[in-house]
Amino acid sequence: MKFRAVMNNSSPIREFSTIVSTISKLSKECVLRIADDMLYFIVSDENTGPAPPVLWCEIPQSVFFSEYQLVGMDETHQDIYLGLNSGNLARSFVSLKNVKSLKMKLTKKQCPCLTLEIEVPSTTSHQTRQIVHDIPVAVVPWKNWPDFYEPRVPDPDISIELPSLKQLRTTIDRMRTMASEVMVRASAGGQLILQIRADMAKVSTRFKDLNVAHFDGPVDNSDPETDSQGNEDSSEIVQCRVDAKKLALFLNVDHISTNTTLCSIVHKRLVTLCLQTDDNVKLQCFISGIVY
Amino acid sequence: MKCHVPGPNVKVLARTVHTLARFGDELYLESLPDCILLRTLNAAESAYAMIKFNKNFFSYFNYNYYSTEDNEGLKCKISMKSALNAFKSPAHIDKQVESLEMKLDPESCKLIFCLKCKHGIVKTHFVSILDCKAMQAVYTKDTVPNRITSPQRILNETLNSFQTSDDQVTLEATTKSLVIKNYIDSNMDLTKIIRTHVSLDPAEFDNYIIGEETTITFTLKEFRALLAFAEALNLPLQLHFETTGRPAVFIVHNGTTFEAHFVLATSKPDNATQATSTQSTTTKERNKRKDTCNTQGSVKKKRHIDVEFSKCLEEDSHLFNFVDIPDDINLKASNNLDNVKEQIDFDNVIPASPTSRTKIKSVFKRCFESTFDPKSIQGVILAENSDSE
Repeated sequence: MKFRAVMNNSSPIREFSTIVSTISKLSKECVLRIADDMLYFIVSDENTGPAPPVLWCEIPQSVFFSEYQLVGMDETHQDIYLGLNSGNLARSFVSLKNVKSLKMKLTKKQCPCLTLEIEVPSTTSHQTRQIVHDIPVAVVPWKNWPDFYEPRVPDPDISIELPSLKQLRTTIDRMRTMASEVMVRASAGGQLILQIRADMAKVSTRFKDLNVAHFDGPVDNSDPETDSQGNEDSSEIVQCRVDAKKLALFLNVDHISTNTTLCSIVHKRLVTLCLQTDDNVKLQCFISGIVY
Repeated sequence: MKCHVPGPNVKVLARTVHTLARFGDELYLESLPDCILLRTLNAAESAYAMIKFNKNFFSYFNYNYYSTEDNEGLKCKISMKSALNAFKSPAHIDKQVESLEMKLDPESCKLIFCLKCKHGIVKTHFVSILDCKAMQAVYTKDTVPNRITSPQRILNETLNSFQTSDDQVTLEATTKSLVIKNYIDSNMDLTKIIRTHVSLDPAEFDNYIIGEETTITFTLKEFRALLAFAEALNLPLQLHFETTGRPAVFIVHNGTTFEAHFVLATSKPDNATQATSTQSTTTKERNKRKDTCNTQGSVKKKRHIDVEFSKCLEEDSHLFNFVDIPDDINLKASNNLDNVKEQIDFDNVIPASPTSRTKIKSVFKRCFESTFDPKSIQGVILAENSDSE
């Protein structure tokens, strides 16, 4: 097994570092899957069993790396799966402001390590200094690979573009103090409604005129949980109740400069938040619905 | 002693006190005819700091204000907490305080800090004096083979690469490069720790003389503290060190008004038998070579080749008997229990300093009681021997 990759520009390094630090905020442990064309960060929730992972992040290697070498175990197992502490990785990146180059490689130094060799220009002279971080990793045996395969998600009933994440986050953060669950509703008409129920009040925040990327037919809303939404056709509203904390956690990703963020809802089952950057980095977060 | 510190220098003094607070819990103040010395020692006795303020640091300096005939200088020990109280928020202190008056009367039991603030507010802190002794470390800084002068920024940037959980760093000094690593103990779980390694080119430093290539390991907590001090004052840092096991001396000075010496004990890196406690114990034991030697403030200039820490009592210095512990003892120390035992052995031979004795007494209190019968515990293994020697 061999892996060696080089980043030469400071802007991709910075972007990579924001992605890593975002992931570290979402979870302590993650799995880094190194494939021929992509790097994947996968966070799975131990308790969910067969459910999709909590987070799935794809990073196309060609955008970030100027050199990229990967040799897998054998012909049939060409990828490398590494379990690592995301905080460790993030902290190794933190100190980097202006970096000349960053080399990432898999090494064996007493234990398997992901070694980051960073070259930093000196602030006081023309010299460069070298920083080496050896981050311990656990190589995931191929028998366990299926745990980290791309999640198979049911087709969403609706995909709607989210408003500014900062705005959304402040809303959720306020709601979180009042209730532990948030009802996310999206209508084919481009409305996103966040709703909570507390003992004393029902609070809903509506975001209007959002871009609906995809809507899959009328939904069956013929149960008492659905509130009538005035003049809107209830069959055009897709909803899912989710844990407010999890939603708020994902909305922390607003440091990444995004292109679009889509919210896809499988009626009453799953909310998928998908963030895509200009560099085709895709970060998906799966929040399973709470059903009574 | 009475002296006035002008506004901008109050900030420097406040920084100093805050830095010293990150070293030790007690502050020793000594007033000499031409300067004031502030000193502290950490609890493990592995780090010592001394800051000397020359006469011209003060706008008014009268050593003999209370007309003492004693020319040995006034000494006092105060608690670091009370000193910190007088110098809150060093970053902004110059905005509020216009000047500071410090008074130490040999007859009184209080050290007085009188802060003259804006709008005519005067804050006076009467700080209790805990003791009248001075503490003095003896170390070499002028005859050492290895000297590096570095802008504080380089080292501060370097330390940013390390984790906050790292507690020691190893410095590998060769003529070609200076390598700084976080220190990995043999019983640490390698799968949990990031190993960081920063290699610096000698050309980055203002001055880089390595006469004897060596590797030293010292604590990061105090190193960070002294670097923060150098950063706050934007002064370069001079590093004087010898070989493994000898203290490393860090000097920050501005040439005219003050000079700060920080002495950190160093330990052997990557010794297979090393346990977590070794760093503190090696230094402790070395420092334990206490000396009744002189109470003069000029000890530092005597260029002791041998490294000794000495604690001096003003009058009853005869309480301290000379204790010489061979240097190699620190290598034998492989676990805590053994160390404590060794210390007890020494106690039997030579009376050690009161502090360490009481410490041991409180740990093995029962053993020192007259009613203690060693037979009563025979045959009962309360705890397995952790070392299979």
